[in-house]
Amino acid sequence: MNGILQSVLAPHGPQAGQIATLAWALFAFGSLVLGLVIAAIWLAMRGAPRIREVLARERTIILLGLALPVAALTILLACGAWLTRAQTGHADEALRIEVTGQQWWWRVVYDGPAPIVSSNEIRIPVGQPVDFTLKAADVIHSFWVPSLGGKIDMIPGRTTRLRLTAERAGVYRGQCAEYCGGPHALMSFKLIAMPRHEYDAWLERLAGPQSAPSTDNEQRGQLLFLAAGCGTCHAVRGTDAAGKIGPDLTHFASRGSVGIDTLPLTAENLDRFIRDGQHIKPGNRMPEFRIFSSAEQTALVSYLMSLQ
Amino acid sequence: MRIDPPVRIRFILLAALAALFLGSLFVWSGVYSVAASRGHFAVTEWLLTFGMRNSVKTHALGIDAPPLDNSDLVTLGAAHFQSGCAYCHGAPGIPISPIAQAMLPPPPDLATNMPPWRDRELFWIIKHGIKYTAMPAWPVQQRDDEVWALVAFLRRLPSLDAAQYRDLALGGLRVPPQSGESLATSETTARAIGACARCHGAGGARPASSLVPVLHGQRAEFIVASLEAFTSAQRASGIMQPVARALTGDDFRRVADYYAALQAPHAPEEPTDTSAIERGRDLAEQGDPDARIPACAGCHGEDALKTYPRLAGQNLPYMLNRLRLWKRGLAPGTATETIMAPIARELSERQIEDVAAYYASGGPSAGASR
Repeated sequence: MNGILQSVLAPHGPQAGQIATLAWALFAFGSLVLGLVIAAIWLAMRGAPRIREVLARERTIILLGLALPVAALTILLACGAWLTRAQTGHADEALRIEVTGQQWWWRVVYDGPAPIVSSNEIRIPVGQPVDFTLKAADVIHSFWVPSLGGKIDMIPGRTTRLRLTAERAGVYRGQCAEYCGGPHALMSFKLIAMPRHEYDAWLERLAGPQSAPSTDNEQRGQLLFLAAGCGTCHAVRGTDAAGKIGPDLTHFASRGSVGIDTLPLTAENLDRFIRDGQHIKPGNRMPEFRIFSSAEQTALVSYLMSLQ
Repeated sequence: MRIDPPVRIRFILLAALAALFLGSLFVWSGVYSVAASRGHFAVTEWLLTFGMRNSVKTHALGIDAPPLDNSDLVTLGAAHFQSGCAYCHGAPGIPISPIAQAMLPPPPDLATNMPPWRDRELFWIIKHGIKYTAMPAWPVQQRDDEVWALVAFLRRLPSLDAAQYRDLALGGLRVPPQSGESLATSETTARAIGACARCHGAGGARPASSLVPVLHGQRAEFIVASLEAFTSAQRASGIMQPVARALTGDDFRRVADYYAALQAPHAPEEPTDTSAIERGRDLAEQGDPDARIPACAGCHGEDALKTYPRLAGQNLPYMLNRLRLWKRGLAPGTATETIMAPIARELSERQIEDVAAYYASGGPSAGASR
């Protein structure tokens, strides 16, 4: 595994590679045109009378001012269309993952005979094209993993598609790239590319129900989780908690973050987010729960941390 | 005769300085008497009254009075008048305390002599109080709904005789005659305890005003937490905060246990809109995930935390009022309000009406009882 990547200049998949190639081609061609324009201006002011006379001819203006831009833009458009042809297509062998942007988190559903619901962290196998089906629940969001591909808007009432392929294992950072309200800047996610066999094993575990809490403290925490109404918004598969309003918390502790990639996952951060979430991620939709005694809070946190 | 301008200016400056000095000397010396016993000169009194009346009229200009001819408002206002106002302003059958009467200005006897204020002016006076008189502001500035209850009662007050007033203000409560010994030796906390039932009812009696919550059958933990929140002024109510402060921590637990053990009396049969109740049931059981409204039952069901209130059989106007207060932006003060207020803000007016109708009709237990 490498470090966390989030850069269009460091492509790690064919789609991001195509975009990078296209961007470099545009940059090179743009530089060439800029050089030509500067040279022409210089010649027009300081050049020999014969050259200035040639530049002022109607034919030169038609050639350099009309014919050249039309030809260059046509070639670039064709080149761009050809290079990015694989960005949005759907292939049968591709893996499908549906991601719904919501204020301010990501609902992730892995397609399969029985769709598997998760949130805020996306895992994909290395080397296999993944077709993302992108939706929005409330306002326009935008799905962007710069190191793997282009960004594409998630629009309420519509479905957009994006294909990404990770060429090597690693953690790629994604970000909502369309302002979507208060904590927009804290609406990011990690996309983790893993070798195929690891991915398969992980997905199988994810699909399974949550193992029951083992220690007394965790059991107390689970009772509190249900009695305090957490399950009205959050789901933990295999328990009575089946809420659909907030992120699915099944296997929550196997994800690496608290508050949707806002803080690293530690018991202390989780404790803070439950009590003081509006200070950590101002404007987020979860009310602060300051109703627990410290023993209750510890039990609740240890239950959540046990959701491996 | 023409005076040289520099001389005139110098004279005015010197005179002003001398006036300032003499004025400061007067204040510093304490010669002026602040005694309430001495009263004002007639001209001072006229000037103060004139200024006060006009100030109230001007400041109340932009206030719109809601409909006040509502027995729930009147009853709630009466109960608070009894505990908060009658000491100074009297009531039918209750003379003003001579201590209050010795204030300057003496508070008007509202039972016999209600000054001719408009509704909005009474509202402004009760909400903001009046400087340099003993009239206090409403303890909680965010609860205009409570102030209007008092205004509604004051409108009814002139037409009440002593017996009618007792019925309204004491909620039909009968204080048993006490022995000479108990009158002579008992503490006065009994008065505060009696205050609960005046508004909230007790035994088999529902609250006198439907704007007051039914406490029968609530968990003791919830009632104690509420009383603590009123005492610490975290929960906003100008009516409940003084009542809760009159009790001690031990009283909280005892009175909470008393109400927790009571069977909730049946709501009076009222014409109900069954389709609203059904919509309310859906919302209570399923929530409205698209609008990010969680199911009410998750926190208000039987298995929920004991510090959360139960809603089945609760008074409809009380629930409507509380939800609308949050929706209009009442800042949450307590830990549980911090959870509920954002949810209430997401509810539409129709959802508020539906879900309140559902719980008022008995909630999940309605099927069994009807």
